[in-house]
Amino acid sequence: MRIAILSLAHFHGYSYAAAVAKHPAAELALIWDEDAARGGAAAQQFGCAFEPDLDRTLAAHIDAVIITSANVHHKEIAVKAARAGKHILCEKPIATTLADAQAMVAAARAAGVQFMTAFPCRYAPPVLRVKQALEQGAIGEILAIKGTNHGRMPGGWFADPGMAGGGAVMDHTVHVADLIRWFLGKEFTSVYAEVANRFHDIRVDDCGMLTMELEGGAFATLDPSWSRPAAYPTWGDVTMEIVGTKGTISLDAFSQNLSLYNNDDRVAAWVPYGSDMDEGLVNDFIAAAAANARPPITGEDGLRAMEVALMAYESARTGAPVIRGA
Amino acid sequence: MRVGIVGAGTMGTVHTGSHHEAGHQVAAIYDLRPEAAAANAARVGAAVAPTFEALLSDPTIDLIDICLPTPLHRAFVEKAARAGKHVLCEKPLAPTLEDARAMIDICREAGVQFYVAHVLRFFPEYERARNLVLAGKVGEPGVIRTTRGGIFPTGWDDWYADYSRSGTLTLDMIIHDFDWLRWTFGEVERVYAKSLSTRTTERLDYALVTLRFASGAIAHVEGTWSHSGFRYGFEVAGSKGLIDFDSAKIQPVVVQKRAAEAGVTGVAVPESPLRESPYTTEIRHFGRCIEHGEIPIVTAYDAYKAVEISLAALESARTGRPVTLAKEAF
Repeated sequence: MRIAILSLAHFHGYSYAAAVAKHPAAELALIWDEDAARGGAAAQQFGCAFEPDLDRTLAAHIDAVIITSANVHHKEIAVKAARAGKHILCEKPIATTLADAQAMVAAARAAGVQFMTAFPCRYAPPVLRVKQALEQGAIGEILAIKGTNHGRMPGGWFADPGMAGGGAVMDHTVHVADLIRWFLGKEFTSVYAEVANRFHDIRVDDCGMLTMELEGGAFATLDPSWSRPAAYPTWGDVTMEIVGTKGTISLDAFSQNLSLYNNDDRVAAWVPYGSDMDEGLVNDFIAAAAANARPPITGEDGLRAMEVALMAYESARTGAPVIRGA
Repeated sequence: MRVGIVGAGTMGTVHTGSHHEAGHQVAAIYDLRPEAAAANAARVGAAVAPTFEALLSDPTIDLIDICLPTPLHRAFVEKAARAGKHVLCEKPLAPTLEDARAMIDICREAGVQFYVAHVLRFFPEYERARNLVLAGKVGEPGVIRTTRGGIFPTGWDDWYADYSRSGTLTLDMIIHDFDWLRWTFGEVERVYAKSLSTRTTERLDYALVTLRFASGAIAHVEGTWSHSGFRYGFEVAGSKGLIDFDSAKIQPVVVQKRAAEAGVTGVAVPESPLRESPYTTEIRHFGRCIEHGEIPIVTAYDAYKAVEISLAALESARTGRPVTLAKEAF
């Protein structure tokens, strides 16, 4: 299995590349990047070739691609890769518009290639344990979920509406939205959101609060804010409080940390010791691509999660809850 | 300061002790259940009042403290005010804005002082956090999160489970957080909420409420009667910094009994002791407001506005629509 990384605009690309390099049955064959300096440096780091031309990259002898470009470029790259017959792992959010996401899913289907959306949180061991507990009926039926995906303001193209398609709500809605869908096995029916810019002098939203309803009547809220100050001891969090008919589950997915107090650092830091999650994601992608089988996270999953962010923006615009499909 | 207390349930018991600690003389206690009144009265050397009217006709009593289920507040406050007594009433002030307004009006007309026990303003962790915010330590507040709750409460006649009387946890419990948020971050413009109370007949309640402030800040308020134990906390994130507090993580004292000695299983009981209970601080303050004209930290109008937020949240949960609050003060 020969794999190409397409753009390292998103820093997750480095971690995915490392996971490919570690995989016994896969080879990191090529890196393409619209930024030749960044791509060249990464190719050197991972000991693979750099190719400055996307079409030549896709014409090369590779089986699969991992797309970690800026959000707004996902569609063009993915559609080209699908037409070139490459299996695709695409960074989240899958796209910035419903039409783009639908075009990507359709292109992969038409070309008969596998399309997987990168939701690595599904591979964090605490998240997997929650999924298992829910499947075992530990708390009965899910009634309500309170979620957070806090972060620091990432800057760069993430704060450029033309490149990211939005701000914190676009960036940080999809992980938890995906986990909620995965845990419940149900679709969102409505979204209400307050969206604001309160933290940084940037052109996109940096905070918000979403309230969702799901089929069957469960409800959920999600705080996707880039509200962690630079002085905070870690990058952010993914948390979920799940209320069921028979009990509750509290998830703090990235709380496996040591507290470090070092005189040379300005602030206290949390040093993670939790298990890597990107490797599980990449391994599942390689397995699905090798078998030409449906991956455990599909393009449709990516589309449904992104749709929640789009509904949140529409709700904030109209001041009313947005009903899906209405 | 001589006090007559109405109600010997959970809050009546706490207030009885706090009045005593604050140096108020608890003259008499009235409760529908004379044995409950007697138990509290015995702790502080008070008399047991045979009727509420007996408290009102005692000319030596300055203050009537009403610790009753919410729907009873208005009738008891009105009678106390008409009898010329100053009044302290448990939160929430009333189940409707109409009742809340009427209670404030009658106390004003009767020329008596009227206080509502929004005790959270006297919890030092909440007061410190507010002071940090006002001192600009987090910069411009952006997103505030609060949480409160635990096990489904049991009270006299199981009145908490009767939502027509308790008004659900959204009226009964997270009104504490609504009041603290309004005190710290200013007026609320818009409310959106979901609540289990509109969806299940089980003995469970869980509410997630979003507030949008006139300042533009956003708050998320979680209230639960679906968990175990009791836990509360908050996080204030702003443009320059962040404050967080989680009662579950602050455990300066943990007493743990070994299983063999405890009998069945080993139980750890955490405590976070203060020199004075926030309830006593609160009651001492209200006593000084009445006796020495100290400026009230929380007014009946504040209590009215907190009820307004709770009722807006319940309306939103019922209708599925955001509720915009009236701008004008009365």
